[in-house]
Amino acid sequence: MQARQPAPSANRRGFLVRLIQTVHVGIGATLAFVVGGAVVAPSFTRRAVRWLPAGRLPQLQDGVPVPVTLRVARPDGASEVVERRLVYLVKSGDGVRALDSTCTHLGCRTKYNTETRQIECPCHGGVYDTQGNVVSGPPPSPLQSVPTRIEDGQVLVQV
Amino acid sequence: MAALLDWLDSRTGYRSLVRRALYEELPRGTGWPFTTGSIVTLLVGCQFVTGVGLTMYYVPAPSLAYDSVRFIMSELPLGWMLRGLHYWGASFLVVAAVVHMLRVFLLGSYKAPREVTWLSGLAMLLVILGFSLSGYLLPWDQKAYWATTVTINVARSTPILGEYIASVLRGGPDLGALTLGRWYSAHVFLLPATLVTLIVAHIALMRMHGISGPIEPKTGRGEAFFPGHVAKDTVMMAVVFASLFTVAALLPAHLDEVANPADADYIPRPEWYFLSLFQLLKYFPGPLEPVATMVIPGVVIGFLVLLPFVDRHDGRHPLRAPRRMFTAAMVVIGIGVAGLTGLGVADSPPGYDADWGLLPIAGWQIATDAASPCARCHTSGGPAAPLASTRITKDEEWLLSHMADPVALGPGVRSAQEPAPRAMMSRFKAQAVVAYLRRERAGRAVPEIDASGRLAAVTYAETCVACHRISGDGGTMGPDLTRVGSRRDPASIRAVIEDAPAVYGETAMPPFKSRLKPEQIDALTAYLASRQ
Repeated sequence: MQARQPAPSANRRGFLVRLIQTVHVGIGATLAFVVGGAVVAPSFTRRAVRWLPAGRLPQLQDGVPVPVTLRVARPDGASEVVERRLVYLVKSGDGVRALDSTCTHLGCRTKYNTETRQIECPCHGGVYDTQGNVVSGPPPSPLQSVPTRIEDGQVLVQV
Repeated sequence: MAALLDWLDSRTGYRSLVRRALYEELPRGTGWPFTTGSIVTLLVGCQFVTGVGLTMYYVPAPSLAYDSVRFIMSELPLGWMLRGLHYWGASFLVVAAVVHMLRVFLLGSYKAPREVTWLSGLAMLLVILGFSLSGYLLPWDQKAYWATTVTINVARSTPILGEYIASVLRGGPDLGALTLGRWYSAHVFLLPATLVTLIVAHIALMRMHGISGPIEPKTGRGEAFFPGHVAKDTVMMAVVFASLFTVAALLPAHLDEVANPADADYIPRPEWYFLSLFQLLKYFPGPLEPVATMVIPGVVIGFLVLLPFVDRHDGRHPLRAPRRMFTAAMVVIGIGVAGLTGLGVADSPPGYDADWGLLPIAGWQIATDAASPCARCHTSGGPAAPLASTRITKDEEWLLSHMADPVALGPGVRSAQEPAPRAMMSRFKAQAVVAYLRRERAGRAVPEIDASGRLAAVTYAETCVACHRISGDGGTMGPDLTRVGSRRDPASIRAVIEDAPAVYGETAMPPFKSRLKPEQIDALTAYLASRQ
């Protein structure tokens, strides 16, 4: 019986195994890139920052919070939602602040009381001053401040 | 690492499983023809993986299905490629399955004792066609809606049980949300489960009986499945996958305009693999319809099912008696399917994919004009999303009412006694805007058009549209003007516009010479003459 030559056969076998591995890994990686990419990508998209007109500066009174309802339509995947947000615009001199109306205690909607000149939460009696600082009650922190900008007397609020 | 694998093997015995899977001995001479099955397996795998990705975004409801596909195609990163692979993969899979079946037929591999293997394969071919059929309803575009209407009508032609079958397929009296829900469920649960079961059975049977090998058995030692034959499988898989990837990357998956159940004029055309059946229908009208829908397909499937039981002779060569006659029958079936498909392609109605006609152009001008009433609300940060990204796929009636009276919540809500406010937009204009939105949603770029074309568009949308149709939009009282330029020269087009009664004698078309400005008539004439 003639002795076999192991070297070329082993080489060929090694080459074929490498070819098989390379192609299968290649196909798998391509599919993983396309499918994985499409699955993962939206998880890391940020919500677009938008500035919405909320009112005109000259129409605001110094130190008096004016409640403004903002409606903003934003895409939600294949769907679309219209969000409603109530903010207080508080003018002080040439500047203006916007305060989110949501109570920092448990998320109730606060209300401005024109008699006491304070912002009050109806749920657990939290009270804030016109700059959103806590006066009394359970709220752990001041009302959240929303970035604002003024362009030609128009107050823009970031949402 | 080696110690860990040793431990795993001692607890699971996976190595003997891998050895059993890889080191099967194949008959000597098992070559390239025996790689067709692994190509089918690869493509089924691709469809599963891409399909799972798509289900994360697709919504099986008429109001969102189309928008969700649009979202996948245009907004989701890599989404166009994901859908491209799934869309083209379906066609590749049908071809690969048929090629695999032809290979098994030509080499006589279906013969005893492999009859059940053959039958499970045939069942898989039908399941794959079921996948295609249920899959193309899902995007809920015009093609999906109307081709499925035809499919259901075909099922209805079944003798005696037809109405019941059609009702079950529709899930109700009409093609709609109930239909979409059940076809979606079939596409992602029922059919995949069936296919997986059949694939497992098919491969188990193949291993049980062994590969049939070359037609004339060769003597000598067999060949190892791994790595020799697996390498051949792998090369073929690489070629097929590279082709699929290239096609998906170069040709975006088709998306028609959103389904419009009210548009009975849409001429449906199925995917190419059903085109032969569809074409066959044309030759058997009326009461003969079951011949095309039941008898002929039934005979073909019956022939394939009975084949391994009728062809019991030992010889496997396709050109030697007695196998010759089966081969001849297969050639006849092949020529029939190919010929009908060819005739179907030749017969297909013209598509308006890139052709905007005039109405959508007019709508585009109205909607994007600086004074457009739409822009009051549909603006970035406004109470409604900008037109380019608004997602409401409401029905046409809702859209038309909304454009006339934007604060109305639904058409027909206001009672007859309450005076409606003055319409924000005339019905003609609203129709033009709807036509524009439909084209725009289908991802068709606005064509370049000059001032004369724009004037022609607005004039058409205010006047001619009531009776004349261009590229699928407009009335049907008068002749379709889509190709009028090839029938008439500019002078005669102008003559008809200016004074139709003078040209035709008695006609419903009034003279427009005094109603339109000369430049409007010039623009219309120039545009219509260019429609060859």
